[in-house]
Amino acid sequence: MGRTWRHPVVRFIVRRTAGTVVLLLGLSFIVFALLYLAPGDLTKNLLGNRRVSPEAIAAVREQYHLDDPFFLQYGRWLLAALHGDLGVSIRSGAGVWSMLVDRGGLTMALTMIAFVLAVGIGVPLGFLAARRRNTAVDRGVVGAALVGVSAPSFAVGLLLLYAFAVMLGWFPLYGVGDGLLDRLWHLALPAVALATGLGALVIKMTRTAVLAELEQDYVTFARARGLSGRTVSRLYLTNAAIPIVTSAGLMLAFLFGGTILVEVTFALPGIGLLLSESITFKDVPVVQAVTLLVALVIAGTSLLVDLAYLALDPRVRRTGVGA
Amino acid sequence: MRLRSSRALSPGHVRRAAAVATIAALVAAGGCSPGSPQNSSAPTADTVGPDTGEEIDLLTVALPGSLASLDANTEGGILNYYVASIAQEGLLGVSPDGTLEPALATSWEQPDPSTYVFDLRDDAVFADGTPMGVDDVLFSIEQARDPEVSPGTAGYWPQITSIEQSDTWQITITLAEPNQAFAWVPTAVGALWVTSKAFWEANGGTVGTSDTLVLGTGPYRATAFVPDSYAEFERVDTWWGGVPKVKTIRFEFIPDENTRLLARQAGDVDIALNVPIAQADQWEQTDNTRVVFQPDNSYVGLTFDTTVAPFDDVHVRRAIAHSADRQSMVDGVLQGKGEVATGIATPEQLGSVIPVDEARTRLSELPQVDFDLQAAADELALSSVPDGFTAELKFPNTGPQLGKAALALAQSLGTIGIELTVTEVPIEEWLATLGDGETGLSFMWYFSTTGDPAEVITYLLDDTYGNVASYSDPEVSDLLAQAREATDQKKVVDLILEANALEVDDLAYWPLWWGQSATAISDSIGATGFSPSFLLSVWPARLYAAG
Repeated sequence: MGRTWRHPVVRFIVRRTAGTVVLLLGLSFIVFALLYLAPGDLTKNLLGNRRVSPEAIAAVREQYHLDDPFFLQYGRWLLAALHGDLGVSIRSGAGVWSMLVDRGGLTMALTMIAFVLAVGIGVPLGFLAARRRNTAVDRGVVGAALVGVSAPSFAVGLLLLYAFAVMLGWFPLYGVGDGLLDRLWHLALPAVALATGLGALVIKMTRTAVLAELEQDYVTFARARGLSGRTVSRLYLTNAAIPIVTSAGLMLAFLFGGTILVEVTFALPGIGLLLSESITFKDVPVVQAVTLLVALVIAGTSLLVDLAYLALDPRVRRTGVGA
Repeated sequence: MRLRSSRALSPGHVRRAAAVATIAALVAAGGCSPGSPQNSSAPTADTVGPDTGEEIDLLTVALPGSLASLDANTEGGILNYYVASIAQEGLLGVSPDGTLEPALATSWEQPDPSTYVFDLRDDAVFADGTPMGVDDVLFSIEQARDPEVSPGTAGYWPQITSIEQSDTWQITITLAEPNQAFAWVPTAVGALWVTSKAFWEANGGTVGTSDTLVLGTGPYRATAFVPDSYAEFERVDTWWGGVPKVKTIRFEFIPDENTRLLARQAGDVDIALNVPIAQADQWEQTDNTRVVFQPDNSYVGLTFDTTVAPFDDVHVRRAIAHSADRQSMVDGVLQGKGEVATGIATPEQLGSVIPVDEARTRLSELPQVDFDLQAAADELALSSVPDGFTAELKFPNTGPQLGKAALALAQSLGTIGIELTVTEVPIEEWLATLGDGETGLSFMWYFSTTGDPAEVITYLLDDTYGNVASYSDPEVSDLLAQAREATDQKKVVDLILEANALEVDDLAYWPLWWGQSATAISDSIGATGFSPSFLLSVWPARLYAAG
C-alpha cells in the first residue's frame, strides 16, 4: 500500500484530484458572485411583465432568500451541494440532478461523436498532407482545413440541414430521436457541423506535428540505416502523437462546453442552451451545476490527456509528471 | 478560443450573427424546394379547401422558443398560454370574438360589484379519467393565488375576502373591493388552470416538469415533455366539448428561425407560431403554406420614468414624442404588419365591449403628438436641457423590430441634439430595467391575454402599487378606480379612454404601435374562427383537415 502511494503516477493523480476540488470550489464561488452581480432581477423574471402587488414581490424574495447577505446565500448553496443536493431549477421547478443527466448525456454524446469524426478524419488527412508536403494533395487538404476553421458551426449546420435534410431528406431536421440508432441518426448532422471546425484544427495540428518530426535527425538516420518505411513511420508517429493527443484532448473538453450554436441550429436540448437560458434567467442552481459539470469534464479530460502523455513518453514517466 | 467565446452568446445573438452569405444562399434556394414548382401566389387565410371530415393523426406545431414548464402557473409566458389552453381549463374561456364564454363554469353572475357566482359543470373529467369535483376547483384557485407556487400568474388575483362552495356545483368568490374585470381572472387566458388535487399532491406539488407533466380537463393529455426539445399531447375522449379532429399534437421548440423555415419546407411542421415579420415572404413562398397576420393585442411604446432627470421634464418627453415617426416605423420596420398606436389599449381589447372599428375611431380621437422635428426642437429649447443630452434605450433581444424603431428614433433625436444610444440586451435584463427607478427611457412591450379592456392601461397608469413610469395623477387614479367598480362595460371603456386622454397631457407614455403576429399554416389544415384570441382558446378543436 505504502509503495503504491509513493508511485509517481498515483501521487500525480491524487495531487491533480485535490487540485480539481479546489478549482471547483473557487469556480463555484466566482460563478455565484458573477451571477449575483449580473444585470437582471430574478423576481421580475418569475413574476413577468405585469402588474404585481408588493406582497407578491416580498413573497418571492423571501422564498428565494434574495434579501439575505451574499455570503449567506452562497453558503446555503454550498452546504446543500456538499450534501449532494443541487436543488431544483428556479425557472422550471425540475430537479437539477435529473436535468444534468438528461442534458449532459446528450451533449456528451454529441461531443464524443463529433470528436471521433474530427480525429478519425483529421489525423489521417493531416498525416497525408505532411507526407505529401507541397503537393496538390497537401494544398487541397490545407485549403479545406482553412475553410473548415473559418466556417461558423451554425452556418455549416444550416447548409447541412438544407442539403441533407431538406433537399435529400436523408437526415431529420431537428430533435433527438428515441432509441440508440434513432438518436445517432438525429445527432449525425449536428456532430458533423461541430466536427468541421475541430477536424480542420486537427488536420493542421497533425500536419505540423508530423512535419516537425520528419525534419528531425533521427528520422534521417533511421532511414539511412535502412530501416523499413513502416518502422520509421512508427518512430516518428509515436513522437508526433504527443502534441496531437494533448491538444485534441483539450479541444474535446472545450467542445463539451461550447455546443450552444449547434444546439440552437438543430434544436437540441443540450447543456449549452440550458446554460445560456439559465444565466439570463439567473437560475442559480442550474448555472452552478452546469458550470461545475463543464469544469469537471475539462479537468477530467486534461487528467486523461496527461496520463496518455505518460503512456506515450517514457521519459516523462520516469522523471515524474506535472512538476 | 472560437468555441469559448461563442458560449457568451445568447440564442438571439446567434441568430443575428448568422453569416449573411450563407443565409442568403439558403433563402434564395428555399423558395423552390426540390421537385416542386415555384409557388407564385400563396393562398390567404380562408382559401384552403373545405373540411374533408377526416381525422388528423399528427399536427406538428413549431414554437420559436422553449417552455421551461408545462405549468402556466410556474411560467406565464405567452407561449405557455398557447400550450396550456389545450390541456387545462379555467372557469371561463375566451371565444373567437374575444368575449368570455363558459368553460368549467356553465354560467356566472355578478350579484353585486364585489361578488361573483360561478355555476360549475358536473360532467367535467380529468384526462386520467377521474371526475372533476368542486374541491379540485377550490384547490386550484388556492394554488393559483399563492405567489410561491404560481409566480407566473398570482399577480392577476386581486384581494379576496372569501371563496366558498355555495351549492353542490356552485362557488362564490367575494372580493375585497369591487372589480368589473374579475371574471377574466379565473380563466385559462388569465390566471387559472384547474388541475386535480390528487394529482398535485401525488407529485408533491412539483408539476409541469418532464417527469410529472400536467393534468387538466381539456381535450388533450400531456404525454411527453422535454424542455428545449418538444412537448406531446394526445387526444382524450372525455372532454365535455366533444372530440377534436386532431389526434396527436406535437410542439417542437425550434429556436433558430432558419431551421424553422427549413422544417416547413421539408414538410415536417404544419403550423409555425410567431414567424418573424422580416421572414414572412419566405414562408409565403413555401409550397402549400399560408401566413396569417393577426393583431396580437400587443402594445409597444416608450415609457418615461417621470422621476428620473431629464425625463422628469414634460418638455423633454414631448420633444421625444415629436421625434418619433410612428407611421414610418409601422410602414418600414413592421412592413405594414401593425398599426400606429393612438392610445394605450388596443382596439381589439376594447373590441370585447364595443365594435373594433368604433374602438379604433375613439382611440384615434385621443390627443396626439405629431411627428414634427421643428416642434421637437422647440420643446427641447423650453426644457431644462435646451442644449440636448445623452440617453440610452435598451431593447430586448427577442424584439429586433424594437431595435430598428429605436435606431430610427435615435436618428431623429440626433437632429435636435439628443444623442440616443441603442443597446440590445437579453429580455431578462430589459425586464429588470422596467420601473427600476433609474432608467429614464425604456420600451414597454406588453401582450394582453384577457379581454379586460382595462388590462394594459391599469398596468401602466394605476398607481396603487406604483407603475413603470412612476406616474401618479389623482384624477387618472380616480377614473381607474371608477372603472374597476363599474358594472357596465361600456362605462369602463369611457372611463379608461378619459384616463388615457388625461395622461397624454403629462406624457408619461408614448404609444408607438399595436403589433401583429404572423402564423404560418399548412394548406392541409383549416381553421375556423381565426382571430386574435384564437390561440388562447381551445384552438385544436377549431382545426380541420382541408381538402
